[in-house]
Amino acid sequence: MTESGPLTGIRVFDMTLAMVGPWCAMNLGAMGADVIHIEPPTPRQMPGSDRPGGGVPPSINGTSIGYISWNMNKRGLTLDMKAQEDRANAYELLKTCDVFLMNMRPDVAGRLGVDYQTLSKINPGIVYCTVTGWGQDGPMRELPGADGQINHFTGMSTTNGVDGATEGELYRHSTQMDASTGNYATQAILLALVARKRTGKGQRIDMSMLRATTHLQTGRIGEYLARQTIGPRLGSAAQVVAPDRAFETGDTRQVAVAATSEAEWATFCDVIRKPELKDDPRFATNADRVDHRAELHAILEPVFKEFPLDYWVLQFRRNRLPYGWPMRWDELRYHQQVQDNGYMQLVPSTAPWGDVWTGGPPYRFSKTPERWFTTPQIGEHNDEILRELAEGRGSSTPVATPSNTGREA
Amino acid sequence: MAGPLFGYRVVELAEGVGGPYSAMLMGDAGADVVKVERAEGDRARGWGSKTAGDFGATFLVTNRNKRSVAVNLGTPEGLAAVKKLTDSADIVIVDAGWSDHPDLQPDAIIARNGQAVVLNISEFGHEGPLGDYPPYGELGAQMASEAIMSLGVPGQPPVRIGVDIGSMYAGIYGLSATCAALIARDRVGGQRIDVSPFGCLVAMRSTLWAAQSNPDEWWGFHLDSYLKPPDNGYHTKDGAVSFTLGRMTREQRDELYKDYDMEWVKDDPMFDLVDTDPGGSGSRYGWKVRPVWEKAFAKFTTAEVIEIGRRHGATTFEKNDYAQMINSPQVQHIGMVTSVEHPGIGPVQQLVPPWDFSDTPAEIRLPAPRLGEHTAEVLTEAGYAASEVASLKSSGVLVGA
Repeated sequence: MTESGPLTGIRVFDMTLAMVGPWCAMNLGAMGADVIHIEPPTPRQMPGSDRPGGGVPPSINGTSIGYISWNMNKRGLTLDMKAQEDRANAYELLKTCDVFLMNMRPDVAGRLGVDYQTLSKINPGIVYCTVTGWGQDGPMRELPGADGQINHFTGMSTTNGVDGATEGELYRHSTQMDASTGNYATQAILLALVARKRTGKGQRIDMSMLRATTHLQTGRIGEYLARQTIGPRLGSAAQVVAPDRAFETGDTRQVAVAATSEAEWATFCDVIRKPELKDDPRFATNADRVDHRAELHAILEPVFKEFPLDYWVLQFRRNRLPYGWPMRWDELRYHQQVQDNGYMQLVPSTAPWGDVWTGGPPYRFSKTPERWFTTPQIGEHNDEILRELAEGRGSSTPVATPSNTGREA
Repeated sequence: MAGPLFGYRVVELAEGVGGPYSAMLMGDAGADVVKVERAEGDRARGWGSKTAGDFGATFLVTNRNKRSVAVNLGTPEGLAAVKKLTDSADIVIVDAGWSDHPDLQPDAIIARNGQAVVLNISEFGHEGPLGDYPPYGELGAQMASEAIMSLGVPGQPPVRIGVDIGSMYAGIYGLSATCAALIARDRVGGQRIDVSPFGCLVAMRSTLWAAQSNPDEWWGFHLDSYLKPPDNGYHTKDGAVSFTLGRMTREQRDELYKDYDMEWVKDDPMFDLVDTDPGGSGSRYGWKVRPVWEKAFAKFTTAEVIEIGRRHGATTFEKNDYAQMINSPQVQHIGMVTSVEHPGIGPVQQLVPPWDFSDTPAEIRLPAPRLGEHTAEVLTEAGYAASEVASLKSSGVLVGA
C-alpha cells in the first residue's frame, strides 16, 4: 500500500515572504502537510524588484527565482488582510489549520489581526510561529535581518578563509543563514506538534535568525567560549581534527581527506604508504596532530601530488576513510549518487517559469514518502480553497487528544 | 511544563557532529537521550588541541542533556545490551560508521522494534555507489556538494566553510524528519529516515540550481546575490561593517554620498558599479568597488558609518567576530549564552537552545557525560540486575561507572 507523507492531515497557514518563512513551510509541504501560501492580491514592493520573492535575481519569465524556488509544495491563496471579507475568510481557514507561520517585523501581526491572542482564541490547537531577524525584544528588534548581514553580525564570516588575508576573497551567494533559520523554524513547529499530542493544545514559538544561525555555529562558538579566542583561519583545514584538509593531487585537482579517529589515522598512514608516521610521537593522538599540524601538512603535501585525484578517491573509498572531491553543477546534477538518492530534480511545471531545477528533499522516509512539486502561481488555488471552506471540508485534525506518546508523561 | 519531547526515549549510536547534535537537540527538547559509546568513546572526545585550551569543546557543546553508556561491542553480551536498549527506544539515531554488525543496522532495529523511528545518517546518502559511507568527513561533503565554491580566491587553494554546516544540517533536518515520523507513528508505526550531509548541502543550495533553469538573464553558475557583501566586509576607522544600498531611492543615495563626504565618487570610474548595480556595492562587484567605499569609511567609526547609513535607508550592521557578537547588547539582552558546570572541568559556556516555546520550554538539565558515566544506571533501568552489571563490568563488556 502506498502511504502519503508523514504530515498528511496537517494544514499550514503560511503568511510569509522573502526566504526564511517560505523555506520553512516548503519543507512542511514536502513532508505531506497542506501548506497554503498567502500572498496579498497586489504584488509586494520588494527591494530591487516589484516581484515577489525578494526580487532575488535572476527571474524566469518575470518571476524571481526566489519566489519560485522557496515556495514549492504549496497551494496559493491571495488574501487582503486589511479587507473585512478576506479577514473573515482567513479566520475561517485558520480554524482548520494546525500551524500559523509568519516572518514579518514584530508589530505587523497585530496590525493584520493575526496576533497570537486573537488566533489562539479562534483555534486553541494552533501552533503559532513567528520568525524575526533579531528577536521579539532587545535594542535591535525593529531592524531588518537578511542573510548577508546575519552572516557578518554573528561572526560566521570570520570562521572562513586564510589567516591574514584581507583582500580578494570571494564571498558569493549562499543563502545558508536564511535557509538555516527556516530549517530551525520547521523543527520548532514539528516539536510543538509532537508536544500537542501530549498537551492537547497549541502554543507560541518565537524564532529569530540571530539565535538560529548562532546555533548553527554551536561547535565553533563553543570553542571560542572555552578558549576566549578564535583559532587562526586555516584555509581548508579543520580546527580540531588533523589531518582534515584538501590537498592538491598529481593532476592538480584537489582531494579532501581526513582521519577523524585513531583507527582512521592508522589506516590513513597505510593508505598513503607512510606507516612510519604511526610511531611518530608528534602525531601520536589527534590532539598531537592538531598541535603539529604544519609539520604534518609538510609531509602530506608531496605525498598527494604523487598520484592523480582518481587514485586517491579509489584508495580512500576502499578503506572507508573520509574523502571528497570538488564537483561542479554539471557533474553534480548527473552524478549517480545524486540520481540514486533523488538529491536533485527538475520539477515539472506548467506555470510561466516552466520546469525548474531544485535540490530534492534531503530526507527519505521508508514508509511515508516525502514529495516535491512546483510552486503555485499567486492565488492559483483561491477558488479551490474557498470552495473547500464553504463545503466545510477542512483537512485538518481538530485539537488532538493526548495519546500515543512513547510513554505517557 | 516539560519540553516538547518529554516522555520519548532516544538511543544514539553515532559519533562526530551530525548524529550527536541531532540527539542533543532532542535532549534540549526534553527527550531522555542515551548515548551509547564504544569502549574507546566517541571519536569527537579526542577532537581539539592539547595547547589551545579548548578542552574538547566540540564534544562538550554537542553532547549535553545525555547519559552515556559505554560497551565493548566486540562481545556478544555487549551487543546484546545495545540491542536491548534499541528495542525499547522511540527514536534511534544510527550513523553509517558506528557499527558494521547486521543486528545494529536500521532495518534490523525496526524489525525488532516496530515502533522505532530510526534516523540513519551517512555521508553521501543511503542509496547509490557511495551509499552508507561513514559521515565524519565534513570537508568531503562540502566539496562534493559544490558548497565550498562559495568561498576563496580564484587560483588559490580551496577554503573550507569554517563551520561544519553539512554535518549540522544533517542533524537539523534529521530532527525535523524524526518529529514528522513521530507524528505519523500513530498511523504507520516506526520507520527509517535517511539523511546525509551531502544531500542536505545540495538541498540548501536549491536557489542556485533554480537559477540555472532558463533564466531571463544569465547570472552564471555561481549566482551572485545583491545582498552579499564581500567576506571581509568594509573596513572603517575602527572595525568593519556589512553594507548594502538595498532599496534606496536616487535622492537617498545622493544624501548618503554627501554625508559620507564622498561626492567625489561620481568621478570615480567605478561609480557605475557602485551606483547602478541592483543593491549597489553589495553586489557581484562588491569586491571590486570595495576600495571606493573604504576610502570614504576610513574617516568614520563603525558606529558612525552605521548611523549615517541607516539614516538614509542603507542596510548596514557591524561585522563582528565571536567576541563582539557575544558581547553585543542584543545578544546580551536575549541571554543567548549560559554556563553549564562540568565535573572535573568546571563551568563550560555554551549557547542556549535555539527555540523559544511558550508552553513546553527547552532546557539544559545535564552537562555532556563522561565516558560510560551512566552505564550502570541506564542498564539497571533497562532491567539488568545490579550483580549482572557488576560482573559484565569486571569482564570488560561494560565500561564506566
